[in-house]
Amino acid sequence: MAGSLSRGRRCVLLLLLLCGFGVVLFRLVTLQVLQAAELSVKADRQHQKTVTLEGARGTIVDRHGKILAMNVEVPSVFGVPNTLDSPIKTARQLSPILHVRTEELERKLRQDRSFVWLARKMDPEQGRQLDRLSLDGIGVVMEGRRFYPKGPLLAHVLGFAGMDGEGLEGVEHRYESHLRGEKRMMVLQRDALGRTVFPKGMTEGSPTSGHSLTLTIDEVIQYIAERELEDAVGRAQAKSGTMIVLDPKTGAVLAMAVSPRFDPNTVSALSPDRWRNRALTDAYEPGSTMKAMMAAAAIEERVVRPNTMVFGEHGHMTVANTVIHDHERLGWVSFAQVIQKSSNIGAAKTGMALGQQRLYRYLQAFGFGQRTEIDLPGEGTGLVRNPRDWGRRSVASISMGQEIGVTPLQMVAAVAAIANGGLLMKPYVISEIRDADGHILRQIPPQTKRRIISQETARSVTKILEGVITDGTGAKAAIRGFRAAGKTGTAQKIDPRTGSYSATRFVASFTGYVPTDNPQLAMIVVIDEPQRDAWGGAVAAPVFSRVGEQVLSYLGVPPNEPVMLAMTSPRS
Amino acid sequence: MKTVAVFVGFCLVLVFVWERVDVVRIGYEIEQLKRDKTALERQRDELRVKVSALSASDRIAKLATEKLGMSLPQQGQIIVVQSRPSDVHPSGVVPVGLKVARNYVPSGRL
Repeated sequence: MAGSLSRGRRCVLLLLLLCGFGVVLFRLVTLQVLQAAELSVKADRQHQKTVTLEGARGTIVDRHGKILAMNVEVPSVFGVPNTLDSPIKTARQLSPILHVRTEELERKLRQDRSFVWLARKMDPEQGRQLDRLSLDGIGVVMEGRRFYPKGPLLAHVLGFAGMDGEGLEGVEHRYESHLRGEKRMMVLQRDALGRTVFPKGMTEGSPTSGHSLTLTIDEVIQYIAERELEDAVGRAQAKSGTMIVLDPKTGAVLAMAVSPRFDPNTVSALSPDRWRNRALTDAYEPGSTMKAMMAAAAIEERVVRPNTMVFGEHGHMTVANTVIHDHERLGWVSFAQVIQKSSNIGAAKTGMALGQQRLYRYLQAFGFGQRTEIDLPGEGTGLVRNPRDWGRRSVASISMGQEIGVTPLQMVAAVAAIANGGLLMKPYVISEIRDADGHILRQIPPQTKRRIISQETARSVTKILEGVITDGTGAKAAIRGFRAAGKTGTAQKIDPRTGSYSATRFVASFTGYVPTDNPQLAMIVVIDEPQRDAWGGAVAAPVFSRVGEQVLSYLGVPPNEPVMLAMTSPRS
Repeated sequence: MKTVAVFVGFCLVLVFVWERVDVVRIGYEIEQLKRDKTALERQRDELRVKVSALSASDRIAKLATEKLGMSLPQQGQIIVVQSRPSDVHPSGVVPVGLKVARNYVPSGRL
């Protein structure tokens, strides 16, 4: 047949074929060589998808590894309004799942936008319900949500993280750089249907999670402290309360409770006043608890000895044209009794014998007027004025805990120094930082700031403070079977209207440690504006006793006074 | 000879195409496994939060007091028995201090 074609026709056919191949070749060169770079970028754009992945925020655990805060991926739902046929129908279907009013959802879905959030960080079950519904124009993405499984427990220390996962308060804020997960961009290959095939470059891996923090806090001790504090604040109809439990030998915070509590899972509905950690931000006039430090300074400086006799002026003494009163009309008493009976006159006299400069030096040595440098944000300095600004009565006033502002944390750290034999320890709440695989990155050891008093002085002050509980104002702080030491405090608050001391508003406190021969716990209880009995010995001391008894039992600390075996035999 | 060369060439093309298809298939499998892994990790985290919430001291104390009728031992109801030197076992091991908690009931029952 081919042979029958004329030569002319064959030439035309060949020419046509050559032209065809020429066109193909030209197009090939245009696409593969001339437009190669531009088209390659276009192709990549269609085949590849760049996503930002963020590693999970680190977990926070107590000293026994119990989870206090952790991230869980939860669904967030969005809409693509300009692809919806019937926004009202979609809104009706979503409303019962998202627990949002139909009208509100419809308003969002009618917007002239290509993306709108409908609900963020919902419960996982809501996400599963949405998946089953499979609505067009509605999408679900997973986002990390912070959970605080213990609810209000330790909320003032933990703080909380915001909607976008950034730490806003407490440990969450202070250790943001450790807790935050790594952010990483990843390029995924997509097929014609938009499905992900595999990441470009398999070695990229997923972003690493944030570091985990181990606290010095013990969940059980924290629970006991919060329960007893809440109970005391409720019974006294007080405005608020604070309690701190420290290990006096290391400065490790075992519990830090603030009443009223709040739930960090639902923090958006609360005012900032509610989540402020009063234990380290709010300064108060300590009242008679300051006499413990004054006694330590006076004994260390050999101004007095525990058996030095002091005249109590029968309850009235004039200093700088003002009268100092005692609640008990004392005559000659020993210095130990001055502290045990909480004599203002005895404390003022001892303070004046110590003198302005030495008193100020010891206030600074005990850490008043400075931050303790605890690893929590927002710590206050309290208020210790420069001696240049002191009035004629200031030495007497400060010796009995007036004209000075301290935070509960400063006070318990100072008392812990007497408990441990004279060393001021830096309080701390984080003991370990671990990476996402659980390897320890950093261990935070106890830090000694300085020696304030000698061990001998500390022992003398401890004996005096034991007397406060056995024979003095702190009888209700006694813990059966254990020798405890401490000091009561009842301070009048300044009335902001008159600028003078209020006759009705008080701060009742108790601070001490137990057992005295080998202190395991240093504690402070501060009750703000108790409405019934305002005395520290009546309102705060019982909390010290109840918490101490339960925590010592929980820690398995043997009592000072052994009980004979015969007493334990069961009765028939 | 020509036929063999064409056949070998055809086989090589087949192997190449099969390899490419297999790479894509394995890519899908890897992605599916990754999704499964993420879902399981998510479930694990949800369960960890749940365990933590259920083991909260607050909740346990509430259940103990309200459902089981338990109460905290009052003063004097915890008796700690300390070991004495005579209690030391011949092996040299000192017995651990024993804690006895008993709920005193007026009828005399323990």
